[in-house]
Amino acid sequence: MTPGLRTSASGMIAQQKRVDVIANNLANVNTTGFKRSRTHFEDLLYETIQGPRRSGTGAVVSPMQIGHGVRLNAITRIDTQGGAEITGRPLDIALEGEGFFQVEMPDGTIAYTRDGSFSLSDAGQLVTNSGQLLLPGIVLPPDTTNVTISETGMVSVTNPADGMALEIGRLELARFANPTGLLSLGGNLLAESDASGHVSVGFPGEDGFARVLQGALESSNVEIVQEMTDMIAAQRAYEINARAIRAAEDMMRSLDDLIR
Amino acid sequence: MTVPGILNTARTLGYYTRLQAVTANNLANASTDGFKAERVSAQSFAEAFPEALASIDMRQGTVRDTGRTFDLALEGDAFFVVRTPQGERLTRNGGFSMDINGFLINHDGDLVLGEEGPLHVRGHEVVVEDDGTVVVDGARADRLRLETVSDLGTLRKEGHGRLVATTPFAPVRNATVRQGALEDANVDPLLGTVDLIQIQRAYAANIEAMRAMDGVMSAVARDIGRVP
Repeated sequence: MTPGLRTSASGMIAQQKRVDVIANNLANVNTTGFKRSRTHFEDLLYETIQGPRRSGTGAVVSPMQIGHGVRLNAITRIDTQGGAEITGRPLDIALEGEGFFQVEMPDGTIAYTRDGSFSLSDAGQLVTNSGQLLLPGIVLPPDTTNVTISETGMVSVTNPADGMALEIGRLELARFANPTGLLSLGGNLLAESDASGHVSVGFPGEDGFARVLQGALESSNVEIVQEMTDMIAAQRAYEINARAIRAAEDMMRSLDDLIR
Repeated sequence: MTVPGILNTARTLGYYTRLQAVTANNLANASTDGFKAERVSAQSFAEAFPEALASIDMRQGTVRDTGRTFDLALEGDAFFVVRTPQGERLTRNGGFSMDINGFLINHDGDLVLGEEGPLHVRGHEVVVEDDGTVVVDGARADRLRLETVSDLGTLRKEGHGRLVATTPFAPVRNATVRQGALEDANVDPLLGTVDLIQIQRAYAANIEAMRAMDGVMSAVARDIGRVP
Protein backbone atom coordinates (compact mmCIF):
# COMPACT_ATOMS: atom_id res chain seq x y z
CA MET A 1 0.00 0.00 0.00
CA THR A 2 1.46 3.33 -1.01
CA PRO A 3 0.48 5.92 1.56
CA GLY A 4 -1.46 8.42 -0.48
CA LEU A 5 1.10 9.16 -3.19
CA ARG A 6 -1.43 9.48 -5.99
CA THR A 7 -3.81 11.33 -3.69
CA SER A 8 -1.23 14.04 -3.11
CA ALA A 9 -0.31 14.08 -6.80
CA SER A 10 -3.98 14.75 -7.67
CA GLY A 11 -3.86 17.65 -5.23
CA MET A 12 -0.83 19.12 -6.98
CA ILE A 13 -2.44 18.73 -10.41
CA ALA A 14 -5.63 20.43 -9.21
CA GLN A 15 -3.71 23.40 -7.79
CA GLN A 16 -1.72 23.64 -11.04
CA LYS A 17 -5.00 23.98 -13.00
CA ARG A 18 -6.19 26.58 -10.53
CA VAL A 19 -3.03 28.62 -11.08
CA ASP A 20 -3.53 28.31 -14.86
CA VAL A 21 -7.01 29.83 -14.57
CA ILE A 22 -5.83 32.58 -12.20
CA ALA A 23 -2.94 33.40 -14.57
CA ASN A 24 -5.38 33.78 -17.46
CA ASN A 25 -7.62 36.03 -15.36
CA LEU A 26 -4.66 38.22 -14.41
CA ALA A 27 -3.41 38.35 -18.00
CA ASN A 28 -6.82 39.71 -19.03
CA VAL A 29 -7.16 42.33 -16.33
CA ASN A 30 -7.27 45.06 -18.99
CA THR A 31 -9.25 43.15 -21.64
CA THR A 32 -12.50 44.92 -22.52
CA GLY A 33 -15.58 42.90 -21.59
CA PHE A 34 -13.53 40.01 -20.17
CA LYS A 35 -15.21 37.83 -17.53
CA ARG A 36 -13.06 36.07 -14.97
CA SER A 37 -13.23 32.30 -14.52
CA ARG A 38 -13.04 30.20 -11.43
CA THR A 39 -12.13 26.57 -10.78
CA HIS A 40 -14.32 24.16 -8.83
CA PHE A 41 -12.95 20.98 -7.31
CA GLU A 42 -14.55 17.85 -5.97
CA ASP A 43 -13.31 14.84 -4.04
CA LEU A 44 -12.62 11.57 -5.85
CA LEU A 45 -14.10 8.20 -5.06
CA TYR A 46 -13.76 6.69 -1.62
CA GLU A 47 -12.58 3.25 -0.70
CA THR A 48 -14.80 1.94 2.05
CA ILE A 49 -12.69 -0.21 4.32
CA GLN A 50 -15.52 -0.78 6.74
CA GLY A 51 -19.12 0.40 6.45
CA PRO A 52 -21.10 1.88 9.33
CA ARG A 53 -21.80 -0.88 11.84
CA ARG A 54 -23.25 -1.46 15.26
CA SER A 55 -20.85 -2.09 18.05
CA GLY A 56 -21.50 -4.59 20.87
CA THR A 57 -23.22 -1.91 22.94
CA GLY A 58 -25.58 -1.00 20.06
CA ALA A 59 -23.94 2.30 19.23
CA VAL A 60 -23.45 3.00 15.53
CA VAL A 61 -19.78 3.19 14.61
CA SER A 62 -18.76 5.53 11.82
CA PRO A 63 -17.75 4.00 8.50
CA MET A 64 -14.07 3.90 7.70
CA GLN A 65 -13.24 5.33 4.30
CA ILE A 66 -10.13 6.49 2.55
CA GLY A 67 -10.42 9.08 -0.17
CA HIS A 68 -8.34 9.13 -3.31
CA GLY A 69 -7.78 12.81 -3.85
CA VAL A 70 -9.31 15.61 -5.79
CA ARG A 71 -10.19 16.51 -9.36
CA LEU A 72 -11.13 19.60 -11.30
CA ASN A 73 -14.90 19.52 -11.64
CA ALA A 74 -15.78 22.71 -13.47
CA ILE A 75 -14.39 26.03 -14.61
CA THR A 76 -17.16 28.60 -14.54
CA ARG A 77 -17.13 32.06 -16.02
CA ILE A 78 -18.33 34.64 -13.51
CA ASP A 79 -20.68 36.89 -15.46
CA THR A 80 -20.76 39.83 -13.09
CA GLN A 81 -20.89 43.34 -14.52
CA GLY A 82 -17.55 45.00 -15.19
CA GLY A 83 -17.11 48.71 -14.52
CA ALA A 84 -17.88 51.22 -17.26
CA GLU A 85 -14.77 53.04 -18.38
CA ILE A 86 -15.53 56.35 -20.07
CA THR A 87 -13.56 56.72 -23.30
CA GLY A 88 -15.51 59.45 -25.09
CA ARG A 89 -15.13 57.61 -28.40
CA PRO A 90 -18.53 57.65 -30.15
CA LEU A 91 -18.30 54.04 -31.35
CA ASP A 92 -17.38 52.59 -27.95
CA ILE A 93 -20.45 50.99 -26.46
CA ALA A 94 -20.70 49.46 -22.98
CA LEU A 95 -23.51 47.14 -21.90
CA GLU A 96 -25.04 47.56 -18.48
CA GLY A 97 -26.99 44.43 -17.69
CA GLU A 98 -27.74 41.19 -19.43
CA GLY A 99 -26.99 40.55 -23.10
CA PHE A 100 -24.32 40.27 -25.76
CA PHE A 101 -23.56 41.93 -29.06
CA GLN A 102 -23.88 39.61 -32.04
CA VAL A 103 -21.10 39.53 -34.61
CA GLU A 104 -20.70 37.59 -37.82
CA MET A 105 -17.72 35.25 -38.06
CA PRO A 106 -15.85 34.71 -41.35
CA ASP A 107 -17.55 31.30 -41.73
CA GLY A 108 -21.02 32.86 -41.45
CA THR A 109 -21.78 31.66 -37.90
CA ILE A 110 -22.71 34.11 -35.19
CA ALA A 111 -20.52 34.80 -32.17
CA TYR A 112 -21.34 36.84 -29.09
CA THR A 113 -19.29 39.45 -27.26
CA ARG A 114 -19.46 42.04 -24.48
CA ASP A 115 -16.60 43.98 -26.06
CA GLY A 116 -18.25 47.06 -27.57
CA SER A 117 -15.23 48.80 -29.07
CA PHE A 118 -16.47 49.14 -32.64
CA SER A 119 -15.07 50.97 -35.60
CA LEU A 120 -16.12 51.65 -39.16
CA SER A 121 -15.26 49.50 -42.16
CA ASP A 122 -14.50 51.07 -45.55
CA ALA A 123 -18.18 50.50 -46.43
CA GLY A 124 -19.33 52.43 -43.36
CA GLN A 125 -20.42 49.32 -41.45
CA LEU A 126 -19.92 48.89 -37.71
CA VAL A 127 -17.25 46.20 -37.14
CA THR A 128 -15.31 44.89 -34.13
CA ASN A 129 -11.60 45.56 -33.71
CA SER A 130 -10.84 42.30 -35.48
CA GLY A 131 -13.14 43.18 -38.38
CA GLN A 132 -16.21 41.03 -37.64
CA LEU A 133 -19.47 42.63 -38.72
CA LEU A 134 -21.91 43.72 -36.00
CA LEU A 135 -25.38 42.20 -36.47
CA PRO A 136 -27.89 43.43 -37.46
CA GLY A 137 -25.73 45.46 -39.85
CA ILE A 138 -25.65 49.18 -39.21
CA VAL A 139 -24.33 51.28 -42.08
CA LEU A 140 -23.43 54.91 -41.64
CA PRO A 141 -24.24 56.92 -44.78
CA PRO A 142 -21.20 58.73 -46.24
CA ASP A 143 -20.32 62.19 -44.91
CA THR A 144 -22.50 61.82 -41.82
CA THR A 145 -21.31 63.19 -38.53
CA ASN A 146 -22.28 63.03 -34.88
CA VAL A 147 -23.21 59.39 -34.35
CA THR A 148 -25.39 59.11 -31.28
CA ILE A 149 -26.60 55.90 -29.71
CA SER A 150 -29.40 56.12 -27.18
CA GLU A 151 -29.75 54.01 -24.02
CA THR A 152 -32.20 51.80 -25.90
CA GLY A 153 -29.79 51.26 -28.79
CA MET A 154 -31.26 53.69 -31.32
CA VAL A 155 -28.45 54.82 -33.67
CA SER A 156 -28.85 58.23 -35.26
CA VAL A 157 -26.59 60.52 -37.28
CA THR A 158 -26.71 64.13 -38.39
CA ASN A 159 -27.68 64.47 -42.02
CA PRO A 160 -25.02 66.68 -43.65
CA ALA A 161 -27.52 68.13 -46.15
CA ASP A 162 -30.03 69.64 -43.72
CA GLY A 163 -28.40 69.17 -40.32
CA MET A 164 -31.36 67.06 -39.08
CA ALA A 165 -31.04 63.91 -36.98
CA LEU A 166 -31.57 60.74 -38.97
CA GLU A 167 -32.30 57.35 -37.41
CA ILE A 168 -30.37 54.67 -39.24
CA GLY A 169 -30.98 51.55 -37.17
CA ARG A 170 -31.22 50.00 -33.77
CA LEU A 171 -28.80 47.73 -31.95
CA GLU A 172 -30.02 44.28 -31.00
CA LEU A 173 -28.72 42.15 -28.18
CA ALA A 174 -28.68 38.39 -27.62
CA ARG A 175 -29.43 36.56 -24.42
CA PHE A 176 -29.17 32.96 -23.25
CA ALA A 177 -30.92 30.85 -20.65
CA ASN A 178 -27.57 29.89 -19.16
CA PRO A 179 -24.91 32.40 -20.26
CA THR A 180 -22.19 30.65 -18.23
CA GLY A 181 -22.61 27.72 -20.64
CA LEU A 182 -21.34 29.76 -23.59
CA LEU A 183 -18.09 28.56 -25.11
CA SER A 184 -15.12 30.96 -25.10
CA LEU A 185 -13.59 31.27 -28.56
CA GLY A 186 -10.82 33.69 -27.66
CA GLY A 187 -10.68 37.14 -29.18
CA ASN A 188 -13.35 38.24 -26.65
CA LEU A 189 -15.86 36.07 -28.49
CA LEU A 190 -18.30 33.47 -27.18
CA ALA A 191 -20.29 30.83 -29.05
CA GLU A 192 -23.59 29.12 -28.39
CA SER A 193 -23.29 25.59 -26.96
CA ASP A 194 -25.54 22.79 -25.75
CA ALA A 195 -25.11 24.09 -22.22
CA SER A 196 -26.00 27.71 -23.00
CA GLY A 197 -29.41 26.98 -24.51
CA HIS A 198 -30.82 28.78 -27.51
CA VAL A 199 -30.35 32.43 -28.20
CA SER A 200 -33.15 34.95 -27.79
CA VAL A 201 -32.77 38.36 -29.36
CA GLY A 202 -34.22 41.69 -28.24
CA PHE A 203 -33.71 45.42 -28.09
CA PRO A 204 -31.56 47.12 -25.45
CA GLY A 205 -33.45 48.45 -22.45
CA GLU A 206 -36.47 46.21 -23.05
CA ASP A 207 -37.52 42.91 -21.42
CA GLY A 208 -34.55 42.87 -19.09
CA PHE A 209 -31.94 43.38 -21.81
CA ALA A 210 -28.98 45.57 -20.97
CA ARG A 211 -28.97 49.33 -21.48
CA VAL A 212 -26.23 50.67 -23.72
CA LEU A 213 -23.86 53.42 -22.81
CA GLN A 214 -22.18 55.29 -25.65
CA GLY A 215 -18.62 56.52 -25.25
CA ALA A 216 -17.73 53.90 -22.67
CA LEU A 217 -16.33 50.38 -22.53
CA GLU A 218 -17.04 47.63 -20.05
CA SER A 219 -13.80 46.84 -18.28
CA SER A 220 -12.75 43.35 -17.22
CA ASN A 221 -14.37 42.10 -14.00
CA VAL A 222 -11.05 40.71 -12.75
CA GLU A 223 -10.01 42.07 -9.36
CA ILE A 224 -6.26 41.88 -8.95
CA VAL A 225 -6.31 41.64 -5.15
CA GLN A 226 -8.67 38.68 -5.21
CA GLU A 227 -6.68 36.87 -7.90
CA MET A 228 -3.43 37.45 -6.02
CA THR A 229 -4.81 36.05 -2.76
CA ASP A 230 -6.16 33.04 -4.68
CA MET A 231 -2.75 32.62 -6.25
CA ILE A 232 -1.04 32.60 -2.85
CA ALA A 233 -3.56 30.06 -1.53
CA ALA A 234 -3.01 27.83 -4.57
CA GLN A 235 0.76 28.05 -4.21
CA ARG A 236 0.64 27.07 -0.52
CA ALA A 237 -1.75 24.20 -1.21
CA TYR A 238 0.59 22.98 -3.95
CA GLU A 239 3.54 23.03 -1.55
CA ILE A 240 1.65 21.17 1.15
CA ASN A 241 0.68 18.40 -1.29
CA ALA A 242 4.33 18.17 -2.34
CA ARG A 243 5.20 17.92 1.34
CA ALA A 244 2.78 15.01 1.71
CA ILE A 245 4.48 13.23 -1.18
CA ARG A 246 7.86 13.70 0.48
CA ALA A 247 6.48 12.31 3.75
CA ALA A 248 5.08 9.25 1.95
CA GLU A 249 8.34 8.72 0.15
CA ASP A 250 10.27 8.98 3.39
CA MET A 251 8.03 6.34 5.01
CA MET A 252 8.50 3.95 2.10
CA ARG A 253 12.25 4.48 2.13
CA SER A 254 12.61 3.73 5.82
CA LEU A 255 10.62 0.52 5.29
CA ASP A 256 12.86 -0.31 2.37
CA ASP A 257 15.95 0.24 4.55
CA LEU A 258 14.63 -2.23 7.11
CA ILE A 259 14.20 -5.01 4.56
CA ARG A 260 17.62 -4.46 3.13
CA MET B 1 9.06 -19.11 18.34
CA THR B 2 6.28 -16.50 18.67
CA VAL B 3 7.25 -12.90 18.27
CA PRO B 4 4.13 -10.84 19.06
CA GLY B 5 6.18 -7.68 19.40
CA ILE B 6 7.33 -7.58 15.81
CA LEU B 7 3.87 -8.42 14.42
CA ASN B 8 2.21 -5.73 16.53
CA THR B 9 4.77 -3.23 15.31
CA ALA B 10 4.05 -4.24 11.71
CA ARG B 11 0.32 -3.64 12.31
CA THR B 12 1.19 -0.29 13.83
CA LEU B 13 2.99 0.61 10.60
CA GLY B 14 -0.25 -0.24 8.75
CA TYR B 15 -2.11 2.16 11.02
CA TYR B 16 0.29 5.00 10.26
CA THR B 17 0.14 4.25 6.52
CA ARG B 18 -3.64 4.61 6.68
CA LEU B 19 -3.32 7.80 8.70
CA GLN B 20 -0.98 9.22 6.05
CA ALA B 21 -3.43 8.32 3.26
CA VAL B 22 -6.30 10.09 5.06
CA THR B 23 -4.17 13.18 5.80
CA ALA B 24 -3.03 13.28 2.15
CA ASN B 25 -6.68 13.17 0.99
CA ASN B 26 -7.66 15.97 3.39
CA LEU B 27 -4.80 18.15 2.15
CA ALA B 28 -5.52 17.35 -1.52
CA ASN B 29 -9.07 18.63 -0.93
CA ALA B 30 -8.08 21.83 0.88
CA SER B 31 -9.58 23.86 -2.02
CA THR B 32 -12.71 21.72 -2.51
CA ASP B 33 -15.83 23.72 -1.64
CA GLY B 34 -17.98 22.15 1.08
CA PHE B 35 -15.43 19.38 1.73
CA LYS B 36 -15.46 17.87 5.22
CA ALA B 37 -12.16 16.46 6.44
CA GLU B 38 -11.80 13.00 7.88
CA ARG B 39 -10.40 12.52 11.30
CA VAL B 40 -8.68 9.35 12.35
CA SER B 41 -8.51 8.32 15.94
CA ALA B 42 -6.72 5.32 17.33
CA GLN B 43 -8.49 2.61 19.20
CA SER B 44 -6.22 0.24 21.02
CA PHE B 45 -6.74 -3.29 19.78
CA ALA B 46 -6.09 -5.91 22.46
CA GLU B 47 -3.85 -3.24 23.99
CA ALA B 48 -1.14 -4.22 21.55
CA PHE B 49 -1.46 -2.00 18.48
CA PRO B 50 -3.68 0.91 17.40
CA GLU B 51 -6.61 0.36 15.06
CA ALA B 52 -7.73 3.27 12.89
CA LEU B 53 -11.20 4.71 13.53
CA ALA B 54 -12.21 7.28 10.94
CA SER B 55 -14.98 9.81 11.22
CA ILE B 56 -16.04 12.83 9.20
CA ASP B 57 -15.24 16.15 10.80
CA MET B 58 -18.52 18.07 10.48
CA ARG B 59 -17.24 21.39 11.72
CA GLN B 60 -18.30 24.47 9.76
CA GLY B 61 -15.94 25.62 7.02
CA THR B 62 -15.24 29.31 6.48
CA VAL B 63 -17.87 31.01 4.34
CA ARG B 64 -16.32 33.23 1.68
CA ASP B 65 -18.16 35.73 -0.50
CA THR B 66 -18.17 35.11 -4.25
CA GLY B 67 -20.97 37.44 -5.38
CA ARG B 68 -22.32 34.81 -7.77
CA THR B 69 -26.11 34.38 -7.72
CA PHE B 70 -26.11 30.60 -7.68
CA ASP B 71 -23.33 30.15 -5.12
CA LEU B 72 -24.98 29.11 -1.87
CA ALA B 73 -23.26 28.43 1.44
CA LEU B 74 -24.78 26.67 4.41
CA GLU B 75 -24.20 27.63 8.00
CA GLY B 76 -25.36 25.10 10.55
CA ASP B 77 -26.01 21.40 10.53
CA ALA B 78 -28.02 20.95 7.31
CA PHE B 79 -27.22 19.68 3.82
CA PHE B 80 -28.50 20.43 0.32
CA VAL B 81 -30.29 17.53 -1.37
CA VAL B 82 -29.37 16.61 -4.96
CA ARG B 83 -30.95 14.00 -7.20
CA THR B 84 -28.31 11.74 -8.74
CA PRO B 85 -28.74 8.66 -10.94
CA GLN B 86 -28.02 6.62 -7.79
CA GLY B 87 -30.70 8.35 -5.72
CA GLU B 88 -30.93 11.35 -3.44
CA ARG B 89 -27.66 12.51 -1.94
CA LEU B 90 -26.64 15.14 0.56
CA THR B 91 -23.97 17.75 -0.10
CA ARG B 92 -22.50 20.87 1.44
CA ASN B 93 -21.07 22.07 -1.85
CA GLY B 94 -23.41 24.87 -2.92
CA GLY B 95 -21.63 25.87 -6.15
CA PHE B 96 -24.72 25.59 -8.34
CA SER B 97 -25.73 26.81 -11.77
CA MET B 98 -28.76 26.70 -14.04
CA ASP B 99 -29.33 24.16 -16.79
CA ILE B 100 -30.88 25.02 -20.17
CA ASN B 101 -34.36 24.18 -18.86
CA GLY B 102 -33.97 26.69 -16.04
CA PHE B 103 -33.49 24.18 -13.22
CA LEU B 104 -30.89 24.58 -10.49
CA ILE B 105 -28.10 22.00 -10.88
CA ASN B 106 -24.69 21.38 -9.36
CA HIS B 107 -21.47 21.19 -11.38
CA ASP B 108 -21.99 17.45 -11.93
CA GLY B 109 -25.37 18.18 -13.55
CA ASP B 110 -27.43 16.74 -10.67
CA LEU B 111 -30.71 18.51 -9.95
CA VAL B 112 -30.82 20.45 -6.69
CA LEU B 113 -34.10 19.70 -4.92
CA GLY B 114 -36.55 22.06 -3.34
CA GLU B 115 -39.40 21.02 -1.08
CA GLU B 116 -41.61 20.53 -4.16
CA GLY B 117 -38.98 18.84 -6.34
CA PRO B 118 -36.49 20.34 -8.80
CA LEU B 119 -36.14 24.10 -8.44
CA HIS B 120 -37.03 26.27 -11.41
CA VAL B 121 -34.93 29.42 -11.14
CA ARG B 122 -35.15 31.11 -14.53
CA GLY B 123 -35.68 34.82 -14.16
CA HIS B 124 -33.93 38.16 -14.15
CA GLU B 125 -33.48 38.27 -10.41
CA VAL B 126 -33.10 35.24 -8.17
CA VAL B 127 -32.96 35.81 -4.44
CA VAL B 128 -32.34 33.02 -1.94
CA GLU B 129 -33.38 34.02 1.56
CA ASP B 130 -31.73 32.94 4.82
CA ASP B 131 -34.16 30.08 5.37
CA GLY B 132 -33.70 28.76 1.82
CA THR B 133 -36.80 30.33 0.28
CA VAL B 134 -36.15 30.95 -3.41
CA VAL B 135 -37.70 34.11 -4.86
CA VAL B 136 -37.64 34.49 -8.64
CA ASP B 137 -38.54 37.95 -10.01
CA GLY B 138 -40.33 38.86 -6.79
CA ALA B 139 -42.49 35.72 -6.58
CA ARG B 140 -41.82 32.83 -4.20
CA ALA B 141 -40.82 29.81 -6.29
CA ASP B 142 -40.07 27.15 -3.69
CA ARG B 143 -37.84 26.54 -0.72
CA LEU B 144 -34.55 24.66 -0.86
CA ARG B 145 -34.88 21.27 0.72
CA LEU B 146 -32.47 21.10 3.62
CA GLU B 147 -31.95 17.84 5.45
CA THR B 148 -29.77 16.35 8.10
CA VAL B 149 -29.49 12.94 9.75
CA SER B 150 -29.86 12.05 13.40
CA ASP B 151 -26.34 10.65 13.62
CA LEU B 152 -23.86 12.53 11.44
CA GLY B 153 -21.30 9.82 12.15
CA THR B 154 -23.16 7.38 9.92
CA LEU B 155 -22.85 9.44 6.74
CA ARG B 156 -20.80 7.80 4.04
CA LYS B 157 -18.79 9.73 1.47
CA GLU B 158 -19.21 8.88 -2.18
CA GLY B 159 -16.88 11.33 -3.91
CA HIS B 160 -18.19 14.26 -6.01
CA GLY B 161 -18.80 16.04 -2.69
CA ARG B 162 -21.76 13.75 -2.04
CA LEU B 163 -22.75 12.06 1.18
CA VAL B 164 -25.00 9.03 1.46
CA ALA B 165 -27.39 8.92 4.37
CA THR B 166 -27.53 5.48 5.93
CA THR B 167 -29.94 6.52 8.68
CA PRO B 168 -33.27 8.39 8.29
CA PHE B 169 -33.42 12.15 7.88
CA ALA B 170 -33.93 14.22 11.00
CA PRO B 171 -35.41 17.69 11.39
CA VAL B 172 -33.01 20.55 10.73
CA ARG B 173 -32.56 22.64 13.86
CA ASN B 174 -30.44 25.53 12.76
CA ALA B 175 -29.40 26.27 9.22
CA THR B 176 -28.85 29.51 7.38
CA VAL B 177 -28.43 29.78 3.63
CA ARG B 178 -26.06 32.48 2.41
CA GLN B 179 -26.44 33.53 -1.20
CA GLY B 180 -23.38 34.66 -3.17
CA ALA B 181 -21.02 32.71 -0.95
CA LEU B 182 -19.37 29.30 -0.77
CA GLU B 183 -18.23 27.20 2.15
CA ASP B 184 -14.49 26.44 2.15
CA ALA B 185 -13.20 23.00 3.01
CA ASN B 186 -12.77 22.66 6.77
CA VAL B 187 -9.20 21.41 6.29
CA ASP B 188 -6.51 23.21 8.26
CA PRO B 189 -3.40 22.98 6.04
CA LEU B 190 -1.11 23.95 8.91
CA LEU B 191 -2.39 21.22 11.24
CA GLY B 192 -2.31 18.77 8.32
CA THR B 193 1.37 19.52 7.74
CA VAL B 194 2.13 19.03 11.43
CA ASP B 195 0.23 15.72 11.27
CA LEU B 196 2.34 14.64 8.31
CA ILE B 197 5.55 15.26 10.24
CA GLN B 198 4.27 13.38 13.29
CA ILE B 199 3.15 10.43 11.17
CA GLN B 200 6.51 10.33 9.45
CA ARG B 201 8.40 10.35 12.77
CA ALA B 202 6.15 7.77 14.41
CA TYR B 203 6.56 5.52 11.40
CA ALA B 204 10.34 5.85 11.56
CA ALA B 205 10.32 5.13 15.30
CA ASN B 206 8.34 1.93 14.77
CA ILE B 207 10.74 0.87 12.06
CA GLU B 208 13.56 1.38 14.57
CA ALA B 209 11.69 -0.74 17.10
CA MET B 210 11.34 -3.50 14.50
CA ARG B 211 15.02 -3.28 13.74
CA ALA B 212 15.85 -3.62 17.45
CA MET B 213 13.58 -6.65 17.83
CA ASP B 214 15.06 -8.14 14.71
CA GLY B 215 18.49 -7.68 16.25
CA VAL B 216 17.43 -9.47 19.42
CA MET B 217 15.93 -12.34 17.45
CA SER B 218 18.96 -12.76 15.25
CA ALA B 219 21.19 -12.75 18.34
CA VAL B 220 18.95 -15.41 19.88
CA ALA B 221 19.05 -17.49 16.71
CA ARG B 222 22.80 -17.12 16.44
CA ASP B 223 23.95 -17.48 20.02
CA ILE B 224 21.52 -19.66 21.97
CA GLY B 225 22.42 -23.30 21.93
CA ARG B 226 25.94 -22.61 20.79
CA VAL B 227 28.49 -24.41 22.88
CA PRO B 228 31.14 -21.93 23.82
